[in-house]
Formats: sequence, C-alpha cells, structure tokens
Amino acid sequence: MSESAPTAAETRRIAEAARDRVRFEEEALELSDQVFRVARRLVGSREEAEDLVQDTYARAFRSWQQYQPGTNLRAWLLRILTNLNIDRGRRVQRTPETQPLEEGDYFLYNKLESSISDDNPDEERVIERLSQNAVVEALAEVPHDFRDVIVLVDIGEFSYADAAQILDIPVGTVMSRLHRGRRILKRQLADKTVSV
Amino acid sequence: MQPYLDGMLSDEEVAEARDHLARCSGCERRYRFEEDLRHFVRVAVDEPMPEELRRRLAGLRSGPPGAQL
Repeated sequence: MSESAPTAAETRRIAEAARDRVRFEEEALELSDQVFRVARRLVGSREEAEDLVQDTYARAFRSWQQYQPGTNLRAWLLRILTNLNIDRGRRVQRTPETQPLEEGDYFLYNKLESSISDDNPDEERVIERLSQNAVVEALAEVPHDFRDVIVLVDIGEFSYADAAQILDIPVGTVMSRLHRGRRILKRQLADKTVSV
Repeated sequence: MQPYLDGMLSDEEVAEARDHLARCSGCERRYRFEEDLRHFVRVAVDEPMPEELRRRLAGLRSGPPGAQL
C-alpha cells in the first residue's frame, strides 16, 4: 500500500504545531534572565548555574507539549530546574535540622539601629550599614532548604502558592521556612556587619 | 508583618495593618526597614546572565516553522 500525501488539513495542523512550538520557545527564552537569576542563588557557582539553566531549557523544549498555555511559564520552568537540581544528587529534600534561634525578627534591625548615632539625620537609612558582598555571602550560607524559599519568594518574587508548587511542598511549609530562613539570613548579616 | 510585606493578607487584614502602621511609629520604622532590606537583598545579589549562556540557549531552539515539513 503506498503512502498518501498529507491532506491539506494535516499540513495545516503540522504548521500550526510548529508555530506553537516556536512561540513557546520564544516565551521561555524571554524568561531566561529571570531563570538564571534564581538558579544562580540556588547553587554554589556560576558554572553550576549555567549548566543547570541549559539543562533546564533543553528539558523544557523537549517536553514543551506538557506546558499548559496561559499558566505560569516561569513557575513551570523553575519546577523543572528545581527537580534537575535534586536529581543531580547534590542534595535530598529533607526536613532541615532545627537549631534554636534565640534572636527574634528584629535582631538585625536593632543591631544596625544601635550602631547609628543619635544625631545622625539619616537614621531611616539603617539599611546602608550593610554591604552588597555581605548579603551575597550571607545568603549563600543559609541552609539550602530555607534558601530555596527565600530565593523563590524574595528574589524570584513568586507567590507562596507558586513556590509551594515549584518545590513540591505544602504552602504552610513555605511560610514557616520563609520566616525562619529570613531570620537566619538576618542573623548572618548581623554577624558580618561590624558595629562602630 | 511578613505576610503583609509578601502581599499575602486579605483586604481586611491589609486595612488593619495599614491602620496600625499609621499610628505606631516603632512598627512603621521596622516595616520600612524590612521593605528596604528585601529590596536591598534582591538588588545586591542580582547577577546578569552570561552572553555565552544566552547564545547556547538560543541554539536549543527547534528551528523556523516549516522545517519539520
């Protein structure tokens, strides 16, 4: 039996699918700066981040049909990235160890504020006591289970719900790790900030 | 304060929070610090994507429409 040529309808369908695919890839590539920005803070080095992002896009482009148009593409990509990161066996998602944290939420604020003299008119700019390097270092030192949520919510500006979906954990866990993680980060920052 | 900063409160709770911040200068200062800190962290850790990576990603594309035909 000889193969018949594709019908006009089939040809149209194939062309449409190809256009959908190209459109998807363009949309995904437009998000690459944001994906990289998050990836860079989740892993230790720039090289790792680059590899992770490249593998993520390769996987995303292969499984493009699994993405539902109109849904949050950025979260979809980050989900792939997060899973790839876990697959690398670098780490396992487990309950973070609980160390006692005596400091409350305002530890850093109080420390920075106390280092400013009373007659300083810029008392409101407490934040300027911090250095950029200290922030980068401090964030890298936060245990990864907490760091993941901080990076997604504070830096990636994802909602709690999106972060929960990306990490495959309950929203309540996102909130508690976020709260605790931010306190740890502030503690690290306070340690790195020299009081005058 | 954290859910308020994250934009996760209901409209009613937001109104209550705003009301409190308007009346309590101590909380208002701390709120402004938290907001500044969030922004500072976000900006401080920002790293641009290497152009080489951008090129490699572009190379992953499936090709112009019609290539599959």
